[in-house]
Order: sequence, then C-alpha cells, then structure tokens
Amino acid sequence: MSQTLLTVSDLSVHFARRRLNPLKPRELVRAVDGVSFALSRGTVLGIVGESGSGKTTVARAILRLVPITYGHVRIEDIDIARLQGEELRCMRRRLQYVFQDPYSSLNPRVRAGAIVRAPLDVMDIGAPSQREARVVELFEAVGLRPEQRSLFPHQFSGGQRQRINIARALAPEPELLICDEPVSALDVAIRAQILNLLRRLQRERGIGLLFISHDMAVVRHMADEVAVMYLGQIVERAPRKAFFARALHPYSVALLSAVPTVRGGRRRAARRIRLTGDPPSPIDPPPGCRFAPRCPVAEARCRARMPELREASAGRWVRCHLVCADRAPLQAPPSAAAHSET
Amino acid sequence: MTTERPPLLQIDGLSVDFEGGGRRARVLNGVSLKVGAGETLGIVGESGCGKSMTAVAILRLIPSPPGRIAAGRILFGGEDLTRVSDARIRDVRGHRIAMIFQEPMTSLNPVLTVGDQIGEVLIRHLRLGPKAARERSLRLLEAVGIPAPEQRIDVYPHQLSGGMRQRVMIAAAIACEPSLLIADEPTTALDVTVQAQIFDLLRELQSKTGMGLILITHDMGAIAEMADRVAVMYAGRIVEEGATQSILDAPQHPYTRGLVACVPDLDAADGDAEAPLAEIAGVVPSVWELRSGCPFADRCPEVIDVCRHEMPQRTSVTPAHHVACWCRGGPAA
Repeated sequence: MSQTLLTVSDLSVHFARRRLNPLKPRELVRAVDGVSFALSRGTVLGIVGESGSGKTTVARAILRLVPITYGHVRIEDIDIARLQGEELRCMRRRLQYVFQDPYSSLNPRVRAGAIVRAPLDVMDIGAPSQREARVVELFEAVGLRPEQRSLFPHQFSGGQRQRINIARALAPEPELLICDEPVSALDVAIRAQILNLLRRLQRERGIGLLFISHDMAVVRHMADEVAVMYLGQIVERAPRKAFFARALHPYSVALLSAVPTVRGGRRRAARRIRLTGDPPSPIDPPPGCRFAPRCPVAEARCRARMPELREASAGRWVRCHLVCADRAPLQAPPSAAAHSET
Repeated sequence: MTTERPPLLQIDGLSVDFEGGGRRARVLNGVSLKVGAGETLGIVGESGCGKSMTAVAILRLIPSPPGRIAAGRILFGGEDLTRVSDARIRDVRGHRIAMIFQEPMTSLNPVLTVGDQIGEVLIRHLRLGPKAARERSLRLLEAVGIPAPEQRIDVYPHQLSGGMRQRVMIAAAIACEPSLLIADEPTTALDVTVQAQIFDLLRELQSKTGMGLILITHDMGAIAEMADRVAVMYAGRIVEEGATQSILDAPQHPYTRGLVACVPDLDAADGDAEAPLAEIAGVVPSVWELRSGCPFADRCPEVIDVCRHEMPQRTSVTPAHHVACWCRGGPAA
C-alpha cells in the first residue's frame, strides 16, 4: 500500500442551535460524531450516505470551512485542525474542492480563464509569465478549448461549468481533491462525461480523491474504498470489491437493496429490504446504535449501547454488534445477475 | 390490453409552440402517447426534452402566452382536453387527472396546514363540508403511510421531512381518486430508501384503484422498476416507445442506448465497474436552434447523411415497439 496522505481521527463537528428557551440548555446538532478514516496517496475513498448523514460536513471540516469541535485531521504529519493564519492558507494549496452546484460556484462576472488562473495568482504558483500557459494546459486537460478562456460562466453548459471547476481545483496541483456530489446537479447523459474525466485525471496525476455521493452505483464506479455514513457516523468502511460483493452492516445492505437497477427491475423491487421511517434527528440521537430504530434485525443490546467501529475482518470496519467475523446479520436479497444464471 | 378498449388517455400529434422576441420554438413536436387504466407509462429523457412540458400540456397548464398548443388532440374520457372550456378543465384538474411534482417543498403552500391543503381539493371537487373534508383527509394521510395522522394534519409543510411532504402531496393528489396520476420526477429530491417507500406506495395505490400513472424520470432504474411501457423523449419528440422490457433489453435508438449505458449499474460485473462509462457526447440542443433533420444527429455515433436533412418517421421494430431513426426498424409503419 502506498503511503497515507490524509488521516482523520475521531473527527467531530457539533453545532449549537439557537436557544429558543433561555432556561433550557443549548441543543447540540451532532453533524459529525467521531469519524475516523485514512486515505492513501493516489487512491479514491468514496463516502456514501443519505442526506443529513454528515458526509458534506466531513469534507468541509477537512478544509476547515466549518469549525472542528474535536478530533484530528492530518495531511501527512501536519494537523490541519491546529493550523492558523498563513500556515493554514499555505496548506490549502494541497487540498482542493469541487462543489456540487456548478452554477453557483463560479463568479458570473469573471471570465473562465481568469477563474482557473485565480488560484495560481492567489497562491503565487509559478512565474507570472508562465501562468497563462498553465491555464491553457488545464483547459485542454479537462476537455475545454483554450479559446473558451475568454467566455463567461453563463456561456457554458452545466457539464462544461463543472469542467471549469475541476480545472480550477487542479490548478495548484493539489495532493488531495475533495469532490462533493460533483455530478448530482448534472443531467444523466453528462454525468458519465464528468465521472470519466475525474477518474482519468485522478489516475494520471496520482491525486488522492475524497469522493462524496449519495449514489451507490456512482461510488462503486469511482472508489477504491467505500465508507458508509449514517447520522454523523461511519457505519461501515471496506475496500470496494469486498463491500459490493457483500456489505456487512444492515444499513449498507438495505441502502444497496433500495437502489433501482435496470437489470433488477420489478423483481429487485419486490425483494427489497424495506426500511420504515426517516433517519432520526442528529440533535438528539438515540442512545444505542443510531440505526437501531429503523434496523430490521435490531436487538435489545443495539438500543442500549452504541457499537464501536471495529475491524470485523482484514480491512473491513463495521459499527454493529451483530456482525461477527464477516457474517452479515441482514442478508441481502439475491441479485438479479445471480438469479439469471440459475 | 389497451388495443381493445379505448385507452384512458390518448395524445395524438401534440405540438406546443413558444414565442418570444419575434422567434418561435417548437418545444413539443408531434407527440403521440397513450396510457391505459392501471398502466404505468414512463417518460425518460434529459432536461429540456419536453417530458414535463407534455405533463403540463395534458393539464393545460402551459403558460399562455408565450406558449400555446399548436396542433394535436388530448383525448381523455371522451373529451378533447385541448378544446374544452376553462371551467371544464378546472373540474378535471386535481379531480380526474392529478399531478405530483418533484420538489414537495415548493409545491405545497407554506402558510396552509397539511389538512387545509388536502381538504381544499375535497371541498372544491367533491363539495364536502369542512368536517367531512377533515375526516377524509385523515384517512388519506393514513393511506399514504403518515404515522399519527391526527397530529400531522395540523402541521405546516416545513415541519415535515422531504419524504413526508411528498406523501402529503400524494395524499392531496389522490384525494378525489383520479383515474390518471402524473408524477413528474416524484423522488428525485428524496433519498433512495425513501424513494423505495414512495414507489411502493404508488404501486399499491395503483393496484387498489386501477389508476393510470405517467411517471416522468431520468432514472432508467426507476423505469425498470415501475413502468409497463416507456417513451423516450428527445428535443420535443418521442424517439422510441415500447414495452419496458423490450426497450431496456434491446434499445434501438442510439439515444436510448446511450441513456441505458451511461449510468453506472450496481448489477454490472465487477470488471465492468473499472471500465470508463459510455458517454453521450455534447448536450441537448436548445429548442430555439433546432434545424431540419434528426435533432440527435449532432450527438449520434451512427449518424449518416440523411439524418442531417430529414426527420426519420416512426417505424415499428415489433408491433409494440416503435422507433424514429434512419438506421433502425423495418418499413415505415
């Protein structure tokens, strides 16, 4: 395995809610609660979860865009959580971010070329005379024509705008790129173009990629390792192949079975594991396992005591009392592919 | 099944024009569709292909001006909805044909309680009194799977989660037991586990009441799960139409094939997960810039000369599977 680039340990981000009743204690939103993972240089970690699971907050905490309540975020040996001022600014050169919405993340009054050039100027990268050549190179790398540098964002389609965002993120040659739902705002047919581009650039340049998505199929396509989040915590972390061959945590199993597939069709829908209700609120999470209220196989101990994230078998981490070795307590319905072979 | 009896809804050659700045754009071009009772028709395509426009045209909700129905008929219950009076279409809307939208937050009125919004439909169409409407609303909330309806009926939309809001919208839509429900991307804003619940609910309602369903989506997986038949739209036209299995197993139009292939599939073999995804190059053309010929020609991997000059006619692959492509199908149907 190559060397570790990013280490997140016991990361927590809590937000205090505005006090509505001055006599009551402030309520805490536990958006991220004790998240730990590591990302090796040049690999892709996919974080998957439903809305409100805290996946975006993890990304924003790594970039110090939200205050970290406690825990550590290390790039190699430097703890980002402790950096201040100029040191933090210099560190940001090594981490870049591509946001979900390609429309609102570009300044409508700035030409595309200047947008991509801005990080070079701000961080003083390369000689000023060579920066324009670097912008041309970046435009070509993301599949835009260099003469499009003089256009404004509104003159581009959604997919092209996301390409501009990617070019800007790549400009300072980051070691870690964080993409938060980079294709969710794009049309289906455009998504494939952007996913292929990201994967190619990531491989060619050996960038570490933290890829955040709610879409299991997209994560399977992009990631080397998968982390599933539920209500502020990682409930399962595993290498991609092992995870998609057989997920262990009941939530992962249910989430996978909920995805409609072209081949699965109605047969898959009929066999689906049905979760009732919505995720509970992160303001006052249940005392035991956070998934217990919706879990089809929960027992008394699940509701009483929070399970730890533990290594169930080599490289596979699960937060569930009921997983022993690598046996999943909740069986996935047989896949359509397996069915058609029989 | 639908060939013997007249279908619930039949659209013939529907065209819709928008005018602005001295120009005219044809946003729907000769759309023909039918939906039978108890049947689910899926409409797929990228944004801007006319999926939602078809839905709002059925309910005559096209903003006019600048839009207008330029040609075609929409036959529903023995009437042509393009010709009936405004008063008549208001009786049909929300009563015989109901619609649910993608974003439940913006389509519910934030200053009315859940009970008021469902009750409004019942009072308007079924002439129920306030008490009876409330009773009926409670039963509807229960039917769409909202726990503790007695408490939820008096809350405002912002107090509910996205999935609950979508259930409220479905409750209001089915309040008068419509014979046709149009669902425009009903689960796009929802999580997959909640999407599964909403799909279950729609299927259950359909099997109970035999209502027809038009499901508009861009998700081929959702189509595979829900639809009996599929219409694929591109640039205001239907480019392929047929039984779901037939379209997914053997898509004929290059656009349909692209749509099926460009999405990563959880069921794909593991080796396939590493290969690059198939791409559809380029973007949907603007309706203002459509030229003669097949609108997909500029993005099509199989384009030939004739595609750029002349629009292909609809041809039959099988009696129940039609495609509009120069490179496909048998003789013109």
